[in-house]
Amino acid sequence: MQMPDNGGYMVAAYVIAAVVVLAYAVSLVYRLAKFKDQ
Amino acid sequence: MTRRERAIRSARRGTVITGLALLGLTGVYIRALVYTPVERLQGLAQKIFYVHAPAAWAGLLAFAVTGLLSLLYLITRDRKFDLVASSSAEVGVAFSVVMLTTGPLWGKPVWGTWWTWDARLTSTLFIFLLFVGYLVLRGAFNDFEIRARFSAVLGVMALALVPFIHVTVYWFRTLHPEPVLLKPERPSLPGAMLTTLLISIGVFTALFIGFLLMRHALTVLRDIREEETVDANA
Repeated sequence: MQMPDNGGYMVAAYVIAAVVVLAYAVSLVYRLAKFKDQ
Repeated sequence: MTRRERAIRSARRGTVITGLALLGLTGVYIRALVYTPVERLQGLAQKIFYVHAPAAWAGLLAFAVTGLLSLLYLITRDRKFDLVASSSAEVGVAFSVVMLTTGPLWGKPVWGTWWTWDARLTSTLFIFLLFVGYLVLRGAFNDFEIRARFSAVLGVMALALVPFIHVTVYWFRTLHPEPVLLKPERPSLPGAMLTTLLISIGVFTALFIGFLLMRHALTVLRDIREEETVDANA
């Protein structure tokens, strides 16, 4: 039986997960830096 | 050490843990994509499991922390419980975004549909929207007591959804697979896949801790500023 060709969905999911996690980490660092400077 | 200094120290710890966890996430990606076998029936799309399930775990863990600390706030009226609870809610929303975007990307090639309104998926979307509402609600009140009390009630009510989401796959007919770890029987995954999943769960838990420390530090710094503004206006 041939394996389904669906690697694109996997790539999309891994990219989205990385982008969301990184964006949230950066947003926390940015907001903290703003508050620490005040 | 002042409250502000403690918050800044906590933020530093959170940043270090988050940095290490992000390195760990890179390791999870490499292990999942290169060293973990491909499932024969589902193909490469099955590997979405290694980010989807740990993100769901971290999101529900964050919501459970919010619910439990909200309950403690309502009992004790201690400000610190509310500050941690609200911080955890935002972290949970971030992980839920990962869960709710990677889920349909796995569902489409495997189930043939992006979404289905069954009990598991609907209750997961519902808890996400509840906590988005929780964050919006907090932004609507300037008075600390009212903000903390109203959002704590919502947090406690939403807490009931966490175990409910877990049992939906047993109680209702659903396309969503049953848990492979949190069940009475032994884990139903081959060794290499199980190891990747466990490492990923560990990394997402570390991310949760790092994010929570940073977000809590931010909440405390905001709280200090609010108190200073109130004192200045008094």
